[in-house]
Amino acid sequence: MIAANVRQEIHNLLGPRGYLDQGPDLSLYEYDGSIDKAKPDIVVFPKSTEQVAAIVKLAARNQLAIVGRGAGTGLSGGVIPRAGGIMISFARMNRILEIDLPNERMLVEPGVVNLDVTLAVQRDGYYFAPDPSSQRACTIGGNVAENAGGPHTLVYGVTTNHVLGLEVVLPDGTVIEIGGPETDLPGYDLTGLLTGSEGTMVLVTKAWLRLMRTAETVKTMLAIYETTDAAADTVAEITAKQITPAALEMLDGPMLRMVEEATHAGYPMDAQAVLLIELEGLIESVESQLEPIRATCLACGAREVRLAKSAEERDLLWKGRKNAFGAIGRVSPFYYVQDGVVPRTQIAPTLRRIGEISREHGVQISNIFHAGDGNMHPIILFDARKPGDVQKAVAAGEAILDYCIQVGGSITGEHGVGMEKMELMTKLFSDDTLNMIASFKSLFDPQCRLNPGKLLPTGKGCMEIHHAHATPAATY
Amino acid sequence: MSLFQPDSAEALAAALAQAAHDRQTIETGGAFSKVRAGGPRGGAQLTLSTAKLNRVLNYEPRDLTLSVEAGMPFAELSALLATNQQMIPLDPPYSATATIGGVVAANSSGPRRRWFGTARDLIIGMQYATMEGKLVQSGGMVVKNVAGLDTGKLHIGALGTLGVMTVLNFKLLPMPVDTRTFAKEFATAAEAIAERDRILKSTLQPMALDLLNPAAARTLSLSGFVLLLEAGGQPNVLDRYARELPGFAVVDKTFWARINGFTESFLAAHPAGCVVRISSKLTESAPVLTAFAGPVIMRAGNGVAYAYCETPPAKLPPLKCVIEYAPEPRPAGMDLWPAPAADFDLMRRVKDMMDPHHLLNPGRLYGKL
Ligand SMILES: Cc1cc2nc3c(=O)[nH]c(=O)nc-3n(C[C@H](O)[C@H](O)[C@H](O)COP(=O)(O)OP(=O)(O)OC[C@H]3O[C@@H](n4cnc5c(N)ncnc54)[C@H](O)[C@@H]3O)c2cc1C
Repeated sequence: MIAANVRQEIHNLLGPRGYLDQGPDLSLYEYDGSIDKAKPDIVVFPKSTEQVAAIVKLAARNQLAIVGRGAGTGLSGGVIPRAGGIMISFARMNRILEIDLPNERMLVEPGVVNLDVTLAVQRDGYYFAPDPSSQRACTIGGNVAENAGGPHTLVYGVTTNHVLGLEVVLPDGTVIEIGGPETDLPGYDLTGLLTGSEGTMVLVTKAWLRLMRTAETVKTMLAIYETTDAAADTVAEITAKQITPAALEMLDGPMLRMVEEATHAGYPMDAQAVLLIELEGLIESVESQLEPIRATCLACGAREVRLAKSAEERDLLWKGRKNAFGAIGRVSPFYYVQDGVVPRTQIAPTLRRIGEISREHGVQISNIFHAGDGNMHPIILFDARKPGDVQKAVAAGEAILDYCIQVGGSITGEHGVGMEKMELMTKLFSDDTLNMIASFKSLFDPQCRLNPGKLLPTGKGCMEIHHAHATPAATY
Repeated sequence: MSLFQPDSAEALAAALAQAAHDRQTIETGGAFSKVRAGGPRGGAQLTLSTAKLNRVLNYEPRDLTLSVEAGMPFAELSALLATNQQMIPLDPPYSATATIGGVVAANSSGPRRRWFGTARDLIIGMQYATMEGKLVQSGGMVVKNVAGLDTGKLHIGALGTLGVMTVLNFKLLPMPVDTRTFAKEFATAAEAIAERDRILKSTLQPMALDLLNPAAARTLSLSGFVLLLEAGGQPNVLDRYARELPGFAVVDKTFWARINGFTESFLAAHPAGCVVRISSKLTESAPVLTAFAGPVIMRAGNGVAYAYCETPPAKLPPLKCVIEYAPEPRPAGMDLWPAPAADFDLMRRVKDMMDPHHLLNPGRLYGKL
């Protein structure tokens, strides 16, 4: 429950339609795509940076926690207000402020939906490269916070490689512009530090995005396999042969059957794995890569390699891929997506280990993932209504991430640590590294009010550490 | 003044902690090739070199990833990668002598950044030593990773003012099968810029696209404003470029070595010379190309330009710029970074946190940090 005086101040600032504070409304804001839940005390809908800053100052005066919210599609509990307080939704800050094609830039508010960036410039032959599978819903603010990736970030890089500058609101309400539309601005790369900070250090109120030219041609291939091993070997082999597709995605047998039943995209129902391979670029360059890729697939044991014959066929394959989670929803009401990363030579053994973990923990696990960069997405199906099932799913997820760490990988490639993988951070990083992260958190958010209880393991969070920041003795 | 060349990251970290404890100022470097880069240096009580941290820790050609200690010479590293047709396409100045750590600390980059980006796009992880004597990790050895905070980004281009990078992890790129270099001369900046715009709007994807002003062109025995373009790929791809670049001549690939080496040779020839680095929008190219009397080399697909001045400029043009290389020692009162932006205060707070007594390369970041 929000204090009456705070509610009144918010009412005065944003008007009667600028916030929600009733139980049933708040229930819509208690979750994201992961499995945890917590309700905010109030959700506010500012329309400008000034309003965001005013709310943040109000929260500071009243010692309230703040959580920024994009579309709530996050998969690591990033947006869950575990300490209650004020949730700042950026849904009404969804304007494209400036399209600057001669400079290959766009300035947007954080609530702009990822796909809308591309749609706004597509006719002119430009696009925004990071394309999370959730791109029809997720926002640029959420993408910046999580440093989101997507199928096509294999060759073009993830969000951090496409964000040049930000306008941010610090937890004390100060508004600062960081970086800008130009590259190589002198000084420290604060944009790089803050991209991927999971909404724990600043709120993003504007972002300068880098646009890219649409490729002249795109070819999409579907390689079909009788075993997941052969598909995984192909990924390693394509990497080793130094062929760089624009996207290289893998679906295993159970997964592609779910997808096919839901979307009729043309995936073979009887295969054990498929690779969705996309090539982009100049016609000559794409044409010259088709044959080596086909040959590599076949040499690694592909049963068949198909080339999408039309844009419709291609779109259908991608629709199947990008709507996969919806397809799972038809089969299993509850699922838990993991996001570990392994070196690309380790995909085959990792998939085998996931199979073992599935059997050991008695949960079904399907895989659909960004194979080209080793970013696994094992999807653990469970039934939350069955006692013990959630625990089984979580334990299986952890076992998978343990394995990813063991083979030299990471616990998250694009979904973020959030509140879901906080405790696993100690397995990946030393105390010194975690303390450094905590120091940065304290530097930006000394009172630990911005998205508290995320990213760092219990005991390392900013509440617990008291890092002395001596004032500088030296001046120049 | 003493020189210390630790042979382990731990020893380096310990030296930093000791210096912090003793309140000793420290100068850090790899091969010290870029002594004229950034701000004031010298006079530190301790000089720390990463030169003996020069091992490749992990190179998995099939994974296109590499982990290397910061003191490894860039040239040696490039030669190693070339045996597998792989590369770190940074094209830095001082490439024959610089260490990989120095290249990253200075955020050195070159013409091919149009397609491959800069160190911030190629580094997948790093380890650095802090003034508290800790070894901190950011990222890892996989090409996609969002675990933890990307604190390593701050060290790229920090010129060693926040800590000392000890290990760098890269994603590697395959070398193109073949390359071809194209050049065209223009009488005016406007014509060269118009052609640049046409190329950027076409479907061509050049690896490098540079624009030289006449003073820079002259040094390559060319005249007027010159567009230089590098394309990579199979021969039929390169032929396509030839068809779509009317009026361009195919020129010797060694042009790029001269472009990449321009800073080094210019500074060697001009002890009182400066290099001004300008961050501009593409639409600001005309004023950038004409604001200086001396050579200007612009990364025409990114808007980053380098202006070469034989003597320190009395006043910098109203562009976002720094004096990246200055005479050594610095003339008194020279302002290397005239107009820090609104985020400067936050940078200062980062510096205060990482190096509270400002002992590490004091003022090295353009005299301001
Ligand atoms: C079906 C599906 C497919 C997905 N596929 C991908 C994929 O391919 N690649 C990928 O990377 N992710 C994927 N995701 C995860 C998710 O979509 C991304 O993490 C996305 O970036 C989250 O955006 P959002 O707007 O929904 O953010 P939210 O979930 O609302 O928030 C995520 C985090 O961002 C913070 N935040 C939001 N806005 C701001 C702001 N303005 N300032 C500061 N912090 C802010 C929040 O506090 C929270 O910590 C997928 C999710 C789903 C459900």
